[in-house]
Amino acid sequence: MINPEDPRIMFIDLNSAFATTEQQAHPLLRGRPIGVTNRISKYCCVIACSYEAKALGIKVGMNLQEAKVIYPGFIMLESDPPKYHYVYQKLIKIMSDYSPNFQMKSIDEGIIDFHGMDHLLKNKTISDIGYEIKQRVKEEVGSYMTINVGIAPNRFLAKQAANWHKPDGLDVIDHTNLLEYYQQIKLTDLTGIAKGFEARLKACGIFAPIQFFEASADMLKRRVFHSVIGEDWHHRLRGQEVDQNPTTRRQVGRQFVLDVRTTDENLILPRFHYLCETTGKKLRHINMNARGIIVWANFANGERWQARTTFNYSFYTDKQIYSRAKKMFNARPKHLIMSAMGITCFMLEPTNRGQKSLFDEINKEDLLTYAVDEINERYGTFAVCSLDALEGKKHVKQKIPFGSVNYFDLLLRD
Amino acid sequence: MDPSILINQRVEVLAIYKKSLPASHICVPLKMKWKDQEIKFSELGLRHPTMKGQRMVHIFDVSDGNNDYRLEFDAEGLTWTLVSMISKEPFYD
Repeated sequence: MINPEDPRIMFIDLNSAFATTEQQAHPLLRGRPIGVTNRISKYCCVIACSYEAKALGIKVGMNLQEAKVIYPGFIMLESDPPKYHYVYQKLIKIMSDYSPNFQMKSIDEGIIDFHGMDHLLKNKTISDIGYEIKQRVKEEVGSYMTINVGIAPNRFLAKQAANWHKPDGLDVIDHTNLLEYYQQIKLTDLTGIAKGFEARLKACGIFAPIQFFEASADMLKRRVFHSVIGEDWHHRLRGQEVDQNPTTRRQVGRQFVLDVRTTDENLILPRFHYLCETTGKKLRHINMNARGIIVWANFANGERWQARTTFNYSFYTDKQIYSRAKKMFNARPKHLIMSAMGITCFMLEPTNRGQKSLFDEINKEDLLTYAVDEINERYGTFAVCSLDALEGKKHVKQKIPFGSVNYFDLLLRD
Repeated sequence: MDPSILINQRVEVLAIYKKSLPASHICVPLKMKWKDQEIKFSELGLRHPTMKGQRMVHIFDVSDGNNDYRLEFDAEGLTWTLVSMISKEPFYD
């Protein structure tokens, strides 16, 4: 049964967030095809592009050379995290004025839950609030900034509504127009359905969202998804909430596409050391210890290598992470030209920092890590670090987190 | 490629502070003196604060219609720095 309740979930999406923010900051770039990347290099790829670039066929993930072939005047800018953080904070401020139940889903997306907030609406409809937020974003952030607003009974449909008419749209999906909406879109327009799931659905005779909607929960569970995910989809497509539960973080890590493809240890290890130290900072930022490490490398010839180890005791200091990871990393095929590498810490558990050890050496390392973190907090990240990692920092640029805002504050302390 | 030209030079700036304007425009640079020239700004694109260690600086992205300028105001030292600029010239359509 389709959820018959009035839509109470609002999804807000900043249109082409990074590119539009750059166009807001630089009036000369408005109306032009521009893109944003983390570090401009021969191999850099577009992580965000303006609507003008999208209209020409330039897509996220394309490299600079491909974009230049499509439009030689394409302008690529390096990302500027403090700028995006400012816009993000402004968006939070605006959203928090309407309901205490709001949540940022990523750096450029947020959800406001209006359940139980009727007394705060003051006779306005949720659509009125949507238009008001659009206007406030223009006044309080910048006149070039636009957002898409989607309103629906659950989070999934609210996001779908926000994607319906881009840019600068406001749409409502509820029980009155849900079927009509499904008839206008294709399977991969549904958030969460990419090529893999699309193939599964098609293999079971489901070629369109309306057929997906009409499929029974049992069929989706047993034949299509072979798990409870199928039942979730059955409810989600009907406007029932299944995406409210918070997710649990299972791993933290860093990866880097090398600025120079090489076999030279003197170039690789400082960059690897830097990745290990930033992973340690992330781990301590979320007050976790780890018990496992994965290190991996990709090579220019297309080969991949990975090592995975779990340890008896948990760890969190940079030294502990680097010494373990380096030992594993040294087992890689060193004769191959490396193109990318990464480290991931897994088996996370709440930290035991502060608990004194019987062994003085462990206490000393704990105190040293605490002191270094405090100095870096005060004077900027990497004010104190290993010499090796300092060299790596010159080459590895911090990335903008797309899917998560957990480390955003950490990223800005540069 | 990135059209920004790095400059990093101290400049003289005339700015106004208006309580009646929204928070994003409470402080607006009007003009600056750079290389013995007076440049009048016609638009404030974006102003955002950021930290350098524990030092607060405010970045003002402004435009005079021909060039976009990135100005940095050091809230501790009360100094203005022209960090970089984007010139209209490379964009001949």
